[in-house]
Amino acid sequence: MKPRRMTAWTSLIALAMGIALLPACGPKTDEGGTTGGDTKTTGSTTSGASSGTSGTTSSRKAPTASGNTASGDTIKIGLVASLNGELKPWGDDCEKGARLAVEEFNAAGGVNGKKIELRIEDSASKAEQGRSATDKLIAEGCLGIIGEVASGITLQMANSCFDKGVPIVAVGATRVDITDIGSNVFRVCYTDDFQGPVMAKFAYDDLGLRKVAIMTDQAQPYSTGLSDNFRKKFVELGGEIVDEQFYRSPEDKQFGPQLQQIKEKAPVGLFLSGYFTEVGAIARQAKEAGLNVKMLGGDGWDSAELNTSGGAAIVGGFFCNHYNNEEARPEVQQFLSKWQAKYNSKPATTMGALGYDATMLVCDALKRASALDSKALTDAIEATENFPGVSGMITLKGNNGNPPKRALVVEVTSTGQKFAKAFEPGSL
Amino acid sequence: MVHQLLPIAAVDFNTLPQQLVLGIGIGAVYALVALGYTMVYGVLKLINFAHAEVFMLGAYTALFTAWYLGFSPQSLQALERESSWLNLLIMLLASMVICAIIGVIIERFAYRPMRSQPRIAILITAIGVSLLLQYGGALFLPVSPPPSIDERVNPYRGAYTITLSRPSDRLLGQKEELERQYQESNVAFEKQLEKEKSRFDLSPQGIALRNAKQEAERALRKVTDEIAASGRELKLPRGQMIMLGATLILMLILRHLVLYTRTGRAMRAASHDFDTASLMGISVDKIVTVTFIIGSALAGAGAMMQATFIGTPLTTFYGVSLGVKAFVAAVLGGIGNIPGAVLGAMVLAIAETLVVWADGSKWKDAIAFVILIAVLLFKPGGLLGSSKVEKV
Amino acid sequence: MNWGVRAVSIVAAVGFCFLIQTVSLGFGADIQRLIALAGLYVTLAVSLNLINGITGQFSIGHAAFYMIGAYTTGYLSIQFLKNSGMPGPVWLLLMMLAGAIMASLAGLVVGLPSLRLKGDYLAIVTLGFGEIVRIIVVNSPFDVSFFGVFKFFTFPNLGGAYALDKIPAIRELWLIWLLAVVCIAVCRNLLKTAHGLAFLSVREDEVASLAMGVNVTRIKVTAFMIGSAFAGAAGALLAHYETSILPSTFAMDVSFIILTMVVLGGTGSITGSALAAITLFALPEVLRRNKEPVTGGTFLAIVIGVIAAVVLIRWFQNEYHGSKNKKTAGYFASVAASAIVAFGLTFALNAIPALHDKAFEGSKLRMVIFAGSLIIVMLIRPEGVFAHHEFSWTWLKKVLRIKPKSEALAT
Repeated sequence: MKPRRMTAWTSLIALAMGIALLPACGPKTDEGGTTGGDTKTTGSTTSGASSGTSGTTSSRKAPTASGNTASGDTIKIGLVASLNGELKPWGDDCEKGARLAVEEFNAAGGVNGKKIELRIEDSASKAEQGRSATDKLIAEGCLGIIGEVASGITLQMANSCFDKGVPIVAVGATRVDITDIGSNVFRVCYTDDFQGPVMAKFAYDDLGLRKVAIMTDQAQPYSTGLSDNFRKKFVELGGEIVDEQFYRSPEDKQFGPQLQQIKEKAPVGLFLSGYFTEVGAIARQAKEAGLNVKMLGGDGWDSAELNTSGGAAIVGGFFCNHYNNEEARPEVQQFLSKWQAKYNSKPATTMGALGYDATMLVCDALKRASALDSKALTDAIEATENFPGVSGMITLKGNNGNPPKRALVVEVTSTGQKFAKAFEPGSL
Repeated sequence: MVHQLLPIAAVDFNTLPQQLVLGIGIGAVYALVALGYTMVYGVLKLINFAHAEVFMLGAYTALFTAWYLGFSPQSLQALERESSWLNLLIMLLASMVICAIIGVIIERFAYRPMRSQPRIAILITAIGVSLLLQYGGALFLPVSPPPSIDERVNPYRGAYTITLSRPSDRLLGQKEELERQYQESNVAFEKQLEKEKSRFDLSPQGIALRNAKQEAERALRKVTDEIAASGRELKLPRGQMIMLGATLILMLILRHLVLYTRTGRAMRAASHDFDTASLMGISVDKIVTVTFIIGSALAGAGAMMQATFIGTPLTTFYGVSLGVKAFVAAVLGGIGNIPGAVLGAMVLAIAETLVVWADGSKWKDAIAFVILIAVLLFKPGGLLGSSKVEKV
Repeated sequence: MNWGVRAVSIVAAVGFCFLIQTVSLGFGADIQRLIALAGLYVTLAVSLNLINGITGQFSIGHAAFYMIGAYTTGYLSIQFLKNSGMPGPVWLLLMMLAGAIMASLAGLVVGLPSLRLKGDYLAIVTLGFGEIVRIIVVNSPFDVSFFGVFKFFTFPNLGGAYALDKIPAIRELWLIWLLAVVCIAVCRNLLKTAHGLAFLSVREDEVASLAMGVNVTRIKVTAFMIGSAFAGAAGALLAHYETSILPSTFAMDVSFIILTMVVLGGTGSITGSALAAITLFALPEVLRRNKEPVTGGTFLAIVIGVIAAVVLIRWFQNEYHGSKNKKTAGYFASVAASAIVAFGLTFALNAIPALHDKAFEGSKLRMVIFAGSLIIVMLIRPEGVFAHHEFSWTWLKKVLRIKPKSEALAT
């Protein structure tokens, strides 16, 4: 019996030392963006979308492989979407948007009479499978790849595309460093170093908030990146980040303890950088905890379900979005009526529009490409200027794959969303 | 936030009671699910991985019941009447009944044929059932966008407030003055707003007025925060309290069932020694079925309450994380031991809450597991479980 | 066995790996990667089999060791490969060693509690360990200090939840399969020795083996260390093949899948683990290639057919007491009958408009089929496909002589 006790004690001492050593946690305000692992990139990105100092020559590596060449009477492009798993809501919308775009493009005549064939693969919301799917699509002869909605999966896909010299257009990956991989990586959305500062500026100037707390989803690279960018700008403007608390999606469902911690710091605003799957519940619980704050967030909020899950607590909150269903721009209204005709519903998330834009952009680039191969397609995508997307004008030329795009701040109302203010790229 | 020399110094003992209340509330849900794990384990020595999926289906049942009761997304716009406790009760019963049925079906068709097989084979079957429900469920259930139960189903929103100490009167006087100033600036700004294009697109004059209004608002806010800080109160979220109450009632019923009824005695006998119990004339098949009914019904109750009072959107992966936590809680308390499951759930939930309280929300789950390992090192059979001495 | 045979088998093993490399070059990059990953899963399953199947220690956190190997070596490569000036394969071998050492140290940490814990309690500790490792990586970088007072060092930035990116690519397919072969060889040779019997005795009865003078403590810890070392080496190969790795690749469900491979192949059977690893890894990928829409009616008919087949086969297994040949005939008959029934039902059910109109794309059903096949295999063959049997030349000879006496299978 004796030696057994010893084992327990030694192990406990080891554990206790472990506990004593570990918790140097809590937000580090002094170092700005140390969380989430983007330190290695924040300095190295040449020109983010936000700075608007485009026109610099691309410093990104060009892929060495030559990619695919079109053969047969159709042109294949590939879409990787999360049709299973946790990201299914976004994946489904993205797939619908892409299908709509291809159908429309083919009906309009395709590329010199050649039809586009959209190959769709499922990533099951897993990065590893996303990569398998990409590899498969490229092996099948797809000229270009579209996807994904989440930054983590897109990174793996982009690595694969870079190896094979096939262009990839990310749909909803707003994480900054993804486009650094190579000159064949593009996206149709803005980046976190634009939407974070937009929300910071909006909170500081338009809402007059000075003390804001942040809640970050530690498991989502999107959320950690967005929180860092928000904090940096907000502190720069003169505001104070009073507290940062963390949770992990999809593990956590109850946020009471974190919200209680935040309440003690008496903020007037709460920036929720996570996805709507948690945001609604956080808002509800914040209200119950007696936390009287303005809710702020990024494009992860966008969903038809936000009002149901957040209830009355989320009403009056503001978030940053790519576009808004209520916008009067013809692109938006045409898109909505086409969507209505095909699916008899409204797009549930913003990924519908972004998936449509990404696909349309690739189709459009194919039309302009000098030849029907991956190399020419990459060049054509790179040369995109003022492409009228549903989510706004997209210009990729000289922007290192990050289009400077408009960001809309939207207010959550009891019946849906209301446009509040638009931020043009370079206006910060 | 400036980092103090010792993070311990950052701990605020004033918030401790509030945090403990929240921890117990979280523990209630863990406990309901952990009971299912522990009871099934007690009788069959099986980690029922599919239990988390039963929980998930319970949440969906609650959702569909709520829709049926008139709280569907289509009808909500026109909704005017308030909900009542009756609706909640119907949802609770529906979830419990459906979960019990699902639990029995799973047991009957997946586990019973495997009864005489090695435990690990049943475990893999359980993993298979769990995956089948997760991915198969996504083919038929609404997952995109993930639906959630509207909060208006629940008439008990907000929180009960218990005042521990009152704020000072001096500040209250100050607040009145500032409130008046704020109202004045607000009126001036609203007047200006009529001439402006929109609230967020202002002329220089509008911006000046807006800034004045915001300044007054901040001053007011500062005082209200001071008032809030000078008095202490305990907020008991009503939803959480109902969850806690319902959990307690269910547990008392369970205790009565297990300790004072024939079925309960048979259950305990089967848990003690399955083979001998069957030799003594206990219908073990029946006992296993009853165990699954009770365990799954409790999970259903937990699912309904979490889905209704917390409001997280549902996907078919809804149960996974909670299932793991509850399983950990059951092991912590000594798996197979009914009071142990409740104790383990409470210890786990309170430990998690305390980590957040000590400003370590990043490490919440890690430390929960560290505590688990530490406890198991000293009590290898869990808190209330006995580490069996193997007889040769 | 004499040295000649050994030399031949070593040459054969290396030749096999190069054969795989050569053959895979004929395929596209996607298939190449799948072949590589399949090799890694073989290593993982066989190494978990050592802990789980052979030594009987219930571990459900194997992905943690895989993760430790991958992240350690990925980080080292990013930091030091450029300056080292070493050729890729040599560096990769070095990294495999580093990953194996780190992972086996972790295996030691997990193995120690296993001295006191049994069964499901040990399982939960391994599961918890896996989660702790994942959270540490997600939270990196952070300062390691003594209650915030003395800062010892900063835990390196491992990319958080995003990814450890830009790991130099060193893709040696033959090395991946060589690791798998080595892993299989180590486990197999271990079982042939007296040490191996000690491992098996710990699985069968701890107290009895203690009484027989087996050092149970050492055996358990050794099993954990060897098993996790192989997982760590596999992690090193993964990191350099993928060039960017992220925490969700090593989540809990990956551990479950590896465990499933072990059990499905037959707990304790190395052959079974290896083949089950390949099959289970390939199944979703093969199904992914099926784009045919499946209507609700067809789907339902297939489900009914499969259930019927399982019920019939189980009936022949348990209730029917005919001769062995008749039993086998019964199995075939039940499969055939169910197939015919399912085929007939397809037409009948598709006549119902509600079932006909709802269609699922075949590839979307792949996880459902995966889960379903787990249940089916467990229902009709709970001891795993290979049970305790191993592939061996004697066994093969017996089969070829066509004297099918299942009792004579080498165990």
